[in-house]
Order: sequence, then structure tokens, then C-alpha cells
Amino acid sequence: MANVYESPKARVNSSMLPQYAGRPVCLVGRVEKVHPTGKSFFVSDGEGKPATVELNEPLEEELSGVIEVVGTVTNKGTVIATTYHILREDKGTSFDLELYNEALKIVHDFSQYYPFEVSMSA
Amino acid sequence: MDCLDLLPLFVTNIRKIESGSGPARFRLMMSDGLHTMSAFMLSTQLNPMAEQNLVAPNCVCLIKKNVTNVLKDGRRVVIILDMEVLRPAEEVPGKIGDPTPYVEGELCQTKVAPAPPSAPSRTLQPQNGHSIPVSKGPSRDFAKKAPSTPGGSSKVVPIASLNPYQSKWTVRARVTNKSGIRTWSNSRGDGKLFSMEIVDESGEIRVTGFNQEVDKFFSLIEPGKVYYISKGTLKIANKQYTSLKNDYEMTLNGESTIIPCEDTQDVPMVQCNFVSISDLETRDKDAIVDVIGVCRSVEDITRITTKSSREVSKRTLSLMDMSGKVITVTLWGEEAEKFDGTGQPIMAIKGARLSDFGGRSLSALFSSTVMINPDIPEAYKLRGWYDKEGHALDGQSMTELKSGGGGGVNTNWKTLMDVKMEHLGHGDKADYFSCVATIVYLKKENSLYQACPSQDCNKKVVDQHNGMFRCEKCDKEFPNFKYRLILSANIADFGDNQWVTCFQESAETILGQNAAYLGQLKDSNEAAFEEVFQQANFKTYIFRNRVKLETYNDESRIKATVMDVKPVDHKEYSKRLIMNIRKLSAQ
Repeated sequence: MANVYESPKARVNSSMLPQYAGRPVCLVGRVEKVHPTGKSFFVSDGEGKPATVELNEPLEEELSGVIEVVGTVTNKGTVIATTYHILREDKGTSFDLELYNEALKIVHDFSQYYPFEVSMSA
Repeated sequence: MDCLDLLPLFVTNIRKIESGSGPARFRLMMSDGLHTMSAFMLSTQLNPMAEQNLVAPNCVCLIKKNVTNVLKDGRRVVIILDMEVLRPAEEVPGKIGDPTPYVEGELCQTKVAPAPPSAPSRTLQPQNGHSIPVSKGPSRDFAKKAPSTPGGSSKVVPIASLNPYQSKWTVRARVTNKSGIRTWSNSRGDGKLFSMEIVDESGEIRVTGFNQEVDKFFSLIEPGKVYYISKGTLKIANKQYTSLKNDYEMTLNGESTIIPCEDTQDVPMVQCNFVSISDLETRDKDAIVDVIGVCRSVEDITRITTKSSREVSKRTLSLMDMSGKVITVTLWGEEAEKFDGTGQPIMAIKGARLSDFGGRSLSALFSSTVMINPDIPEAYKLRGWYDKEGHALDGQSMTELKSGGGGGVNTNWKTLMDVKMEHLGHGDKADYFSCVATIVYLKKENSLYQACPSQDCNKKVVDQHNGMFRCEKCDKEFPNFKYRLILSANIADFGDNQWVTCFQESAETILGQNAAYLGQLKDSNEAAFEEVFQQANFKTYIFRNRVKLETYNDESRIKATVMDVKPVDHKEYSKRLIMNIRKLSAQ
């Protein structure tokens, strides 16, 4: 598995996950349900589509609201999270997930103008 | 009074008036059984009748020919040219009826119509036959009014025909607008005036009354009511004070009469020449216009202190018409206070002033007439349109005041490149636009100046070097001053940069400190003062700017002024960018 911290991570939504199998991604979505074991949880993206996030260690805190997950996509289309952070809604303006999704689509539709895939020098 | 012909009257009294030269004259008091009138003179050829007592008190006679003269002071005198005695005095038992003196002047002016002889009714209705259907009820204002001149039988003429070269006229018109009493006091003395606008089927005209006429007429006049007005002085209109379509205006004088008129059918309510809001763009600044529209929203009332330190109420509202355009209207004083915008009423203003504030906006003047839900066809049309479709429209505002949180549908977004490419500001009037830009340079030298400490005066004061500071505008010296900001800055975006000037409010926002504190800092702690400018640099804002081409001594340059500075609303900005990108890709 590529070291997630050292390579650029494409921002994706749920429908793009299959295309990024085996690659590091950044997924932003709203927490819908946490699995009883605490080792996975479900999110919905800006389009309302679901995605599953799996963890190496069980959760030690309550998860709710909008969350940004950085991890690698499995062959099954789930994301194994390396790290996550919650976008707190009580601080500052609320995160507009739908608007984020629109911006995301622009970045992907016009990827020639958004050359993020420049790898960091080793 | 041609109707006197063939009217049997009886003589109540005869008086012989000796005149030094020439024959004596006989003055008669005549009665028709109801009223007496004493202004009858026997023409000299009929003198023998009186001398021979053929015409004597109590006789009944028929005036076969007469002529009515109007004296210099307005009184009417009937000269009897031919008279026939129907019943000599001896044959008449006594006084007929119980006549009371007929007071001239309480007669309404009428059109000269060959009216059949009709005795003036006790309630003194206009003598006329046919065309004007006058109600026979007593008019309540008669008692109030002390007639200065008799009514007489002047013609009723259209307002449009009034001119300074004719003095014997009467108009029948509705008062559309009555001002308050204004007083003045200058080196020549004191005075007071009031003015009003009157309208009839043919047109409208402004009427002013001074001093005594204010006392005479001010309380009599009620806006919306119809009056017969005669004997005003006509002169060329001073267009500065009125926007009415008439070359002349009228001044009331000692001989003028204003008599209420009951019949108001034909007289229009108001004459307005409405301009569509979208057309206001083409009109000149300071033009006086009439507008009508739906009042979409009203702000709360605020109180402002004017330059003359008067406190005045102010209220703004937004008006939309069928052009789909919206404009901001400002009301002042009493109009502002009593305005009720609930229910999105139809509002019409006659004589509002068009200003180029914020692009285009309207202001009600002292002389404007503001009407809510007026009873005119345009109002009904607007109501129907608004209820059906207008209410759903967002409307594009001609007044670029409120960019409301980063911009409503109205904001004119440009990039700094656009400003130069599109030659904004090169036209006759200034252009306004909004942009997202970053401050890249702030000039701290000469950013502060010493201003007059008087409220509302911001003129730079001259340091007299004796501890006093002189303001040329107020023509006074002060021991102090207040610091004010004029900040020169360079702002930039991805494509271009622009030098702009920020005045007090926007400068304080950018620097994050008020002018007074900054002034202190500049005088005491240079390093801290500089630090303020450093911190303010490279911040990004939404700028609302005004650009205009200015010419100084043959050189023309674009001057840009910051009207407003706001933090970037990222959500709105993102949405707009996404929309623009999609639009561009679709082309």
C-alpha cells in the first residue's frame, strides 16, 4: 500500500470510488451510521450516495456530522481509513456538502486545469 | 347678468345721487321677492321716470334692457337702460316678500350660458342652466369664506389656457398637492408662503400664496377637493421649484377668490406622467419624474441629522414595476413616518427627484406627492400584474446599494481585468461594480488628514500654527480637529490590479482600527502604526467600487473609489464560480 501521507490524494465522492481502487483518496461525507463494533461506519456524500469506511482500530469517540476521511480504496469499493477528522459544525460556518460536491465535479471534469497529480519529490 | 332681462323686480328704494357736473343719477335697490340688490343705476335717459315718480319705491317693473358693469373694485353695477313699470307703486299693497340683501360673491363661478332667469336660491347655488350638473345642497364652506370679490359671471377656462395677459378668468380644478406653510426671515423682512398644485381636464399649474393669502386660503384648501379659483396672477414658471407641465405659474393676490365646488365629476384626480423604472436609467440625474410601482419592501425608519443640524426622519423602500426593474425610493419627514408598506401596496409618486446615488435612485421632495393605492387605472393594472406574475420576480435593482451578503441577483460582478477591457467609468456617469480582490499595497503616508471637528463637516482644516485650526467651509477656528482617513491602496486579482481610494468607513474596515486611534498611533508610536498597515496587507475582500473618468487639466484618468468593503462570502463566491465555469464550458 502506497504511503498515504506522501502522495497526493484525490478528492473523491462515493461514485468515483471504484475507479480509485488501490489508490489513496480523500472522501468527505456525512456520518450516517456507525457499526456496533466501532470498526466501520457509513457515510453519505454530497450526492447522497453511501460509502463504507473501515478502521484498523475501533472508534473511541462519538462520530457525527461531516467528516473528512483520508485512506485507501479497497477492491470492494470501501475505504480503509488512515486518518479522519470531523468538520465541526458548531464552529464557524457550516460545511455545505452539496456545494463541495459541485466543486469536486468541476475539478474532475476539468482536471487539465487542476494538475494536482504532481508527486512530491522523494 | 343677462338673466335680469325680463325679470320682474320691484323697487324697494330709490336714491338720488347728485353729481357736481352732469345730471343726477338715481340709484335703485331692487328686489325679486327673495333678495334685494342695491347696485342698480338708472341710466340718465330714464331719469325722468324717477323724477316723475313713475318709478318709486314699491313699484313693480320689468327691466327690458340693462348692461352690467364691473367696477374697479370688483363690484357689479347694473345700469338699467330700458324699464317698464308693470305696477305703479300706489297699486302695490306693500313690500312683497321678505327680501334679504343679496350678498355678492357667494355665487359660484359658472360658465356663461344663456341661462333662463332663475332666482338665486337661498343657498346661493351657481346661476346656470344646463351643462354643469350642480348639486343643490348647500355647500358647507360658504359660511367659512369671506368673499373678497364677487363671483361674477366669469367664464370657466381650462388651466392650459391661463396666461398673464388675461385677468378675468376662473378655473375649476382639483388640488392635488398642498404644501405646508413655509416661513422665512431675511434682511428684507419676514414672510410666509404655501403652495399647491391644481389640475383639471386640460392640465395642471402650480399656485402659490404669500403672507395675507396664506391666512386667507390655507385652511380653506383641502387636497383632493375641487375649487373655483379666479383672479390669480400668472407669470412664467420658475422650473426650479416645480416640475409641472405648464409654462406659467399662479400667485394668489388680494383679488383672488377660491370657492369650493361641489361638482367634481369631470375634474381628474391627478395628472401624472409615469416613467417606467427601467427608463429611469436614461433620464438625467436630478430630473423630476413621476413613478408608480409596487412597494416590495420597506426599511425601518431612521433619523438623520442634516447639515443644518435639523433632525429628519428617513425611510427607504423598494419599488418595482412592470418592467421588472426595482428602484430604491427615499421618503423624508412626515411622509416617511406615516408610510405603511404592509401588504405591498401600489405607490405612486408625483414629482420625485431622480438621483445617481447607487446608480439610480429616487427621493421624495417637499413638493412631491406620495399616493398609496391611488384610484387610477395604472394602479389597478399594476396590482393585477403583480398578483399574477410580478410577485415571483426577483427584480433587478437600479440602485446598487445593498449588495446583501455578497450579492443578490443584482450585483454587478467584474474582474479587475474587465474594468479596463470594458472601459468602465468612461461614460457620462460613474459605473459601479463588485469584485473579489486582494490588497497588495497600502499607502500609509498621507493616509490621515486633519478634519473640521464639527459634525457633518469633513473639510480639511488649516493649521494656524497658534494652536488653532481653521475650517474654511464653516468659516470658524477650532482648538482641535478630528482625524479622518483617505487611504490609497492597490488591489489585485488573478488578472489585473487597480489603484483605489478608500474613505473613512472602508479604510477603517481594512485597517481594522478607527481613524482617531490611528491618528494617535501615528503621532506617538510609529512602529505600531506601521504594523497596522502590515497586518492589513494581503487580505482579500469583496470590494464594491465606483469608477469614473475624471479630467484634470487636459489629462483624463480613471478614478476608482471603494464604496464598501466586505469579507468574502466563500459559499456565494464558490457557487458563482461554479456557475460561471459551467456556463463557459457550455459555450
